[in-house]
Amino acid sequence: MLGWLIRTASSSIGKKALMALTGLLLIGFLVVHLAGNLTFYMDGDGAAFDSYAETLESNPLLPLAEFGLLVLFVTHIVLALRVTKQNRDARKSRYAVRATAGGSTAGSRSMVITGIVLLVFLVVHIMDFRLQNDGTESMAALVREELSAPLGAGLYAVAMLALGLHVSHAFKSAMQTLGCNHPKYTPLIEKVSLGLGIVLGLGFLSFPLVIFFLGGSAAGGQA
Amino acid sequence: MAQQLDSKCPSGPIEERWTRHKFALPLVNPANRRKYTVIVVGSGLAGASAAASLGEMGYSVLNFCIQDSPRRAHSIAAQGGINAAKNYPNDGDSIQRLFYDTVKGGDFRARESNVYRLSEVSNNIIDQCVAQGVPFAREYGGMLDNRSFGGAQVARTFYARGQTGQQLLLGAYGALMRQVKNGRVQVLPRREMVDLAVIEGQARGIVVRNLVSGEYERYSADAVLLATGGYGNVFYLSTNAKASNASAAWRCHKRGAFFANPCFTQIHPTCIPVSGTHQSKLTLMSESLRNDGRVWAAKETGETRRPSDIPEDMRDYYLERRYPGFGNLVPRDVASRAAKIECDLGHGLGATGQAVCLDFRDAIAKGGKDQIAAKYGNLFQMYEMITGENPYEVPMRIYPAVHYTMGGLWVDYNLESTIPGLFILGEANFSDHGANRLGASALMQGLADGYFVIPATITAQIAGRSREAVDTNHPEFARIEESARTRNEQILSVGGGRSAESIHRELGLIMWDKVGMGRNAAGLQQAQKEIAALREEFWSNVRVPGTSDHQNPGLEHAARLADFLELAEFFAADAEHRKESCGGHFRDEYQTEDGEALRRDDEFAYAAAWEFNKVGQPATLHKEELSFEYVKLATRSYK
Amino acid sequence: MSAHAETDCLNLTLNIWRQEGPHATGSFEVRQLQDISTHMSFLEMLDCVNEDLVSEGREPVSFDHDCREGICGMCSLVINGQVHGPQPETTTCQLHMRHFKDGETITIEPFRAEAFPVVRDLCIDRTALDRIITSGGYISVNTGSPQDANATPIAKPDSDLAMDAAACIGCGGCVAACPNAAAMLFTGAKVSQLALLPQGAPERESRVLSMVETMDAEGFGNCTNEYECMAACPKAIDVSHIARMNREYMRASLVGSSP
Repeated sequence: MLGWLIRTASSSIGKKALMALTGLLLIGFLVVHLAGNLTFYMDGDGAAFDSYAETLESNPLLPLAEFGLLVLFVTHIVLALRVTKQNRDARKSRYAVRATAGGSTAGSRSMVITGIVLLVFLVVHIMDFRLQNDGTESMAALVREELSAPLGAGLYAVAMLALGLHVSHAFKSAMQTLGCNHPKYTPLIEKVSLGLGIVLGLGFLSFPLVIFFLGGSAAGGQA
Repeated sequence: MAQQLDSKCPSGPIEERWTRHKFALPLVNPANRRKYTVIVVGSGLAGASAAASLGEMGYSVLNFCIQDSPRRAHSIAAQGGINAAKNYPNDGDSIQRLFYDTVKGGDFRARESNVYRLSEVSNNIIDQCVAQGVPFAREYGGMLDNRSFGGAQVARTFYARGQTGQQLLLGAYGALMRQVKNGRVQVLPRREMVDLAVIEGQARGIVVRNLVSGEYERYSADAVLLATGGYGNVFYLSTNAKASNASAAWRCHKRGAFFANPCFTQIHPTCIPVSGTHQSKLTLMSESLRNDGRVWAAKETGETRRPSDIPEDMRDYYLERRYPGFGNLVPRDVASRAAKIECDLGHGLGATGQAVCLDFRDAIAKGGKDQIAAKYGNLFQMYEMITGENPYEVPMRIYPAVHYTMGGLWVDYNLESTIPGLFILGEANFSDHGANRLGASALMQGLADGYFVIPATITAQIAGRSREAVDTNHPEFARIEESARTRNEQILSVGGGRSAESIHRELGLIMWDKVGMGRNAAGLQQAQKEIAALREEFWSNVRVPGTSDHQNPGLEHAARLADFLELAEFFAADAEHRKESCGGHFRDEYQTEDGEALRRDDEFAYAAAWEFNKVGQPATLHKEELSFEYVKLATRSYK
Repeated sequence: MSAHAETDCLNLTLNIWRQEGPHATGSFEVRQLQDISTHMSFLEMLDCVNEDLVSEGREPVSFDHDCREGICGMCSLVINGQVHGPQPETTTCQLHMRHFKDGETITIEPFRAEAFPVVRDLCIDRTALDRIITSGGYISVNTGSPQDANATPIAKPDSDLAMDAAACIGCGGCVAACPNAAAMLFTGAKVSQLALLPQGAPERESRVLSMVETMDAEGFGNCTNEYECMAACPKAIDVSHIARMNREYMRASLVGSSP
């Protein structure tokens, strides 16, 4: 009865559509996540950020949302691994010389690499801020502590650059995969994709940079 | 030889002949059709449409093609369009007029009954192709667009940008692949037919060489359809594809199928000129360009300036001058010969002097660059790609090139050759174009033969006969396979000092110089001698390295060349025998005072069907007298 | 004519892929080539290589070619890492040597994809593309007497767009250029052409489902929207046809009546 669904989901187009859908939802999550994180800059002592974190954690629906996120991430990652494996298998003997004809971009070419970087980052990030946090410490302090260390700041900075690159291709690619290609809208979609990559990438990148170099005070500086 | 040529043309009013003939033909019960195996060699417009249609009807079809896919056949390169008597533009066209134009355009050397049938089914072809999803050009109202094409005074040409042949072929290819899915057709690509099995006087199968493994394969059938195209590559340089060859047709000829009118060759007026000795083929620019471009040569001899630097008063728009009625739109043979005359007289342009100009300056000034780009954009792009010159800014240089061969294996009204069970379709037969083919008529004929004629007439051979299936172990199969194998091994064993490529180029030069656009008795006799000598040279001095047990492009080319070397001599002999000028055959000795073709209807109003005797010996002539009841014999005039 | 009077000649070094058969191991053969006219096409340059090989008593290089005017789709080759060479919207047979420099080294490889096994040297087997078409790339209409060609008007923009897609020559360059060896542009072009025409409507769903299924089964990769296919396509077929196929596929899968 659900044969058609399995067939669709396992077809090349179906897999890509699922990746596109989960990817778009994850971009949505990132936008909300960044908006929340920006509260870090609202005051000097991180009170706004802590209160945002507290509100989030006290929400009874949080586990449900987290489960949803988990499903999105796992689906996206599992499909990405599968698609990549198939793509490798589709050309086992490689070209001796390879040159682009001008279609691909840095973002598109590096999707697999940026994806892997983000996967590693994701594990570290969850361990840092979700599993290690026993609820006693201020979230802002935890962030400050983590990102003032060179290793932490470095990892976060690299990962956020990867994120920007990933998203710059991801949004327009997802739109194309879902069939949204139209001479009237495609140029806009491409700009939005690049814009999202820059905004999300730089937005998240600002945290390790600001904290590492300016000591974690708000953008306006500590009083 | 006692064999009488029976064209099996029906009698009676011409507009009823095809209908009456179809009614008179026997039928094969749908349930029995699958018991009949039909071999179709070639997958161009004629071959693919025949294989698909016969498959749809229920026959078991084997379709062979020389390329890796049936979609690559050279029909794909036809640019301009396909004629049909739809009269959509309301400009006075009709089946009658298309028939009249085609008979006249063919210079009265085609069979009236065949041409009428062609005109009659032309409309069905358009309907069929549109139903298949062929994206013909349309007007803003959503209706099909038509344009006027070389030599026609009505707009009856349907087109799909500059890729009409491609779109029609892909339509037929789709239909063919649908039958592959339905299990009615088996496509066998990368196979080259090397011989025909004639058993008890009937064509009962073929032997092919697998171009991947090098192995010989035998296939038996109840009928064999040859749709292998023309023999233009006998000239080495032509607009044909590199793999286009005459071998299948020539082997059938040697097995007893008569070959008709080999000298009727079309030289297309608008090709990109030869640029050097390395040239491997010529590229045609659609004749539709002549709708807007103006053809000119230098007024004075010895012009060395770049064409764009030659002032207006030093240009001679010779087609408009000589043929005020049709101007730049005169038929192909007339336009080609006129260009050759201009160049021979020293009015040619460019470094070689072997080119005239096709100029869009006035059309661009009048309609704007965009309008010209919309019509011919891809052709202009192609011209620039090949020559490195921008035709929006400088005049195109053009020169005639061998393009199409009207001659071919002789067939009756059923498209059956003189070997029972062997049918010939499309360019490979001699039937419908007489001595000259009009633009946009080749696609029409290929599809007419495949979609509409052969599905009806094949029953003439196979209906009502209960016959034993032929086993491919039959001694005749063994014999012809052995002869093909021996022949290839012989080529490989010569081990001389010349490549097949260089011999082919030399053959091409002989053909172009002496059997090309201007022919005369002395030159034709000389050509025959030179060709015979070149053939000797081939068999004693060719060098083809490698073996035959795998793909060996050198061997494949050499084997085709060996056949061209026989066909070429025969071609020149036919040209010598036809002491008149008509259509694509122009004899210097037979022209009017102002240099136009002089036809001699009293002596040559026949199709010359030749029976093969022996290599190097004259073939036996059989005449099929042509009678013209509906289109009165008249001198063609485009003045 | 000045462009003609030039007798520009090139000396070249070629790395040509040679492989005896589908299962043999291939390698590059290095060849020096002198005095190649810039007016030659790339395949005419290869003809020269083959003439040299014949004079050395060696078998010529096998390469697929036929019409030599950019329409049959038979020629292929990856030249210095680029499908059909460096010129946009140009097949290998229409590529001319004036685009190369004297002294240049040119690496010539076959199209590489598991779905396109090497036949010999530079020749490849592209019948996988035929099988995609066989599974549904047509309108099922028997030869006979369909309605008059003008009975169904088709809006010119739709017809033109269908023609854009139909211009595909089936060379497989999109597969060769795709980092994933996907056949989405080839398949998308046919699905799109027939989806744009009213004649194609009755089989719209079954066609896309079955063509995509065949495409996947043939071992082509998945599309990651890098658009290398479009950049390499000698006919500049647009990736919007892939998007249309994606829509057609999801529509047929999710809400279509096909099982």
